[in-house]
Amino acid sequence: MAVARYIKDEKDRILDVILESGIHVKPVYTPKDLEGVGFSYEKDLADPGQYPYTRGIHPLGYRSRAWTTRQYTGFGTPQETNERFKLMISHGQTGLNVAFDLPTQMGYDSDDSMAEGEVGRVGMAVDTLRDFEIAFKDIRLDKIGSGLTINAVASIMLAMYQAVAEKYGYDPKVISATPQNDILKEMIGRGAWIFPVEPAVKLVGDTIEYSMKVLPRTNPVSVCGYHIRESGATPAQEIACAILIANAYIDNVIARGHDVDDFVGRFSFNLNVFGNMWEQIAKFRAARKLWARNLKEKYGVKKPENLFLRGLFGGGGYGLTKAQPENNIMRGAYYALVAALSGAQTTALCSYDEAYTIPTPHSALISLRTLQILMDEMGLRDTVDPLAGSYFIETLTKEMEHKIEEEMERINKFGGIIKAVSEGYIQRLVARQAYEVEKGLESGELLKVGVNIYKEGESMEVELHEYNWESAEKQIESLRAVKRERSQKDVTRTLKDLEVATKEGKNVMPYLVECCKAYVTVGEMTNIFRQIFGEFNEPSLF
Amino acid sequence: MEVKKRLKILIAKPGLDGHDRGAKVVAQALKEAGMEVVYSGLHRTIDQIVNMAIQEDVDVVGLSIMSGAHIPITQKLIQKMQERGISDKLVFVGGVIPTRDIQKLKDMGVAGVFPGGTPLSETIAFLQSVAKKG
Amino acid sequence: MDLVDRILEGDESSVARLISMLEEGKEEGYMAVSLLFPHTGRAHIMGVTGSPGAGKSTIVDKLAFAYGTKGKKVGIIAVDPTSAKGGGAFLGDRIRMRNAEKIEGIFIRSMAHRGFPGGIAKATAGACYVLDSSGKDVIIIESVGAGQADMQISTICDSVITVFTPDYGDDIQLMKAGLIEIGDIVVVNKMDKPGATEVAKDIEFFLVNRTNQPWHTPVVSIDALKGEGIENLVQALKQHRTFMDRDTHARTIKRDKRKNLVLNLLKEETWNAILNRIEEQVDFSEIMEKVQDGTMDPYKAVQLLMRIAVRGAESTVSAKENKRETNR
Repeated sequence: MAVARYIKDEKDRILDVILESGIHVKPVYTPKDLEGVGFSYEKDLADPGQYPYTRGIHPLGYRSRAWTTRQYTGFGTPQETNERFKLMISHGQTGLNVAFDLPTQMGYDSDDSMAEGEVGRVGMAVDTLRDFEIAFKDIRLDKIGSGLTINAVASIMLAMYQAVAEKYGYDPKVISATPQNDILKEMIGRGAWIFPVEPAVKLVGDTIEYSMKVLPRTNPVSVCGYHIRESGATPAQEIACAILIANAYIDNVIARGHDVDDFVGRFSFNLNVFGNMWEQIAKFRAARKLWARNLKEKYGVKKPENLFLRGLFGGGGYGLTKAQPENNIMRGAYYALVAALSGAQTTALCSYDEAYTIPTPHSALISLRTLQILMDEMGLRDTVDPLAGSYFIETLTKEMEHKIEEEMERINKFGGIIKAVSEGYIQRLVARQAYEVEKGLESGELLKVGVNIYKEGESMEVELHEYNWESAEKQIESLRAVKRERSQKDVTRTLKDLEVATKEGKNVMPYLVECCKAYVTVGEMTNIFRQIFGEFNEPSLF
Repeated sequence: MEVKKRLKILIAKPGLDGHDRGAKVVAQALKEAGMEVVYSGLHRTIDQIVNMAIQEDVDVVGLSIMSGAHIPITQKLIQKMQERGISDKLVFVGGVIPTRDIQKLKDMGVAGVFPGGTPLSETIAFLQSVAKKG
Repeated sequence: MDLVDRILEGDESSVARLISMLEEGKEEGYMAVSLLFPHTGRAHIMGVTGSPGAGKSTIVDKLAFAYGTKGKKVGIIAVDPTSAKGGGAFLGDRIRMRNAEKIEGIFIRSMAHRGFPGGIAKATAGACYVLDSSGKDVIIIESVGAGQADMQISTICDSVITVFTPDYGDDIQLMKAGLIEIGDIVVVNKMDKPGATEVAKDIEFFLVNRTNQPWHTPVVSIDALKGEGIENLVQALKQHRTFMDRDTHARTIKRDKRKNLVLNLLKEETWNAILNRIEEQVDFSEIMEKVQDGTMDPYKAVQLLMRIAVRGAESTVSAKENKRETNR
């Protein structure tokens, strides 16, 4: 919900605007302001598609290709998921995005006591390779890529994806998976963590290293500033954390002796879009510049295309309100506009009712039309980075750049992102800020339409999924059947190999693939990791 | 020498859901309002939560549920509290709760329901009134 | 007393409720503790203190787990600060004790210090007696962790563990004076971080140069997060326990601890009692007005207030005596 703070006089005249990141906005900007921040077209912007990519990563932007959009799927049983996949492909969707249920995300099998009430609820239940075989049946995995919204057990899911592809006769080199695989953001803002920080980062490194050789079309990491922002981070902190988190993964892989140019080009970012629109636009432009500079100067990345910040700018969940839900349609449109003005490669909008209800086909269509109107009717494809050169936007972008660097410096001074996440420094920071925002909204210091101003209008009722106990039962039955039919010898052997390899610090991926092929369950593989790595000890709040 | 009774409350995150922004905001608000707040952390089972409630001897157990599973989870908690003999402790539930479920929860024995969007001042006022009675 | 019997049987609910009664200063709570007191003395009570960020909670967690796996019954008391503004508290230490939680019968209680100084709460001693008499073998207290302010923990613990890390840098000089003094065992945590060996050496040097110490304080290097060195800590604690049980000097140390505990508690009680009494007096507000206006110097103010306090105490004492007289 976070918005800028407005200092007004009794006549509602604005005396000062303080953006979330702490930057003050002036009434008027002139060429003097550009001078004041030392703006230089060549150094700060350059043309689109040229280092430092502030204006965008492609020279022609949307003129060459409109942005792509995402729609999440996957719920209930693998069978239901497979049907939904086929439906969407028939509608022209060129990529799948799979959501997994919480037990799967947390490494529990559907028959585990911890899974009770959650099997298939927020995504597809996956216990063994059999579930992937059902879900991806008749899907051309050589033509259709799959985004896998999975983090703590991303290594397992990626291995399973390779196993199912091989089972259906595809060469691993042609399949394309995009696991989210950003465990550090889980510890900060999404909570689906299992193992402690260091082994968890090691697993991320394993998937990156493995993909380089065996699954070259994999995009192994999607660094999510999104959830960190949802937890209470300011826009500047969102980018600061995202860059530092990406660097932590890079560091893990180059420590193994690899060349950064061989893998970093396949990193992508998932960034949030709610908030003051100028702050967001400046944020995205500054982010592109800082990421490119970070890779060039800190890591010596040589290939220009590896310097791109490929981003999904979207979502905006925290910006939506329960009060007057139709307002969220407009918010969605404005957020989409911000994403377009910021040059996002991909975007996704929360359906106006999504946070609280099952997105209906109607609301999903509204989101789609919102994006199509921008691209095909309003002229957002006409030219690249249209706001470039604006005295305001360029000054703000430079200021944002400094803010982000300040936030990065703060974390580095604390001891780096790994230490900050292990000890809860960032978690405490965003929790405190979240509280301040809440207090600000309740005191009226921060204004939000429908919430504390312009309140006449109806609130929305929350509509939730009825939990499908039958589906869950079916899944558990299916799991039991697999366990009966599989070869216990193979299970024992592959698990033992996994255990030994993990203890020896080897890359676990090939061993996970073998386990998947032997129909070892997600829970069984995760438990090996739990035994060896232990569990993340959640830091204290205060 | 007797001292003023402080309200002690457990804010618990049952189940696998990892969204804790709301729970943490409420925890901070209650602390600022003068209460002693124990936070359970993520991924807790009902048994673990009941153990905490007993050992910390809290006055109120607060569940924060964002996953939609508030009815079965709350049912389980209340049952366990009965079995372990701590039904005198109050239960309140917050998170993603449809209006029509509020009465269902109250019928189960929940003392207060605070769906997302409830002002913190309201939650605090409710708990402070509870403290006066207790 | 029913409650007392249940506690002696180890009933958790009763243990928890009695601790609450002590926190509230309830008379029946004190009565119960008196009845339980003869049953105490068996448990090894250890306190963990050190600056924020030293890793106390992690150490408590791993230590409790180590004892638990050896079959010991463990109780943990984690003390956190009460906010001076508003009186609320965030009791967030137990979230860090996921390993300890796995132990059969583990009892973890968080306590806000409610203004009591010295790193513990007024009721912490009482809570130890309750846990001790309920059958715990080991009781671990995690102090507030304000660094040098945590001095009182030694009055209730058999063994005090003070924790340092290499992060301290210049603060080590300040830390040394107070914290090392009260430590029976000094732990250097995060032993694989740069500077850890230097810190350990610094401390050892300081300890070696103290003369006439009956107990030679060991310095144990650990990495609490990885669980390394915990066994050494357990051994050191075992040796200290033996020292406290057998050594002739230990008797004096124990006597001093008990005396200081009472004096500390008494300090709190008397302060509260006096403040209550003098705050009611008219002269009190008059004097305070002058102090706040800046027209009376603080020393004179205190002299006058002491006279009021004594006067108040005398009238209370004589009132009580009169009451006793009339009741005979």
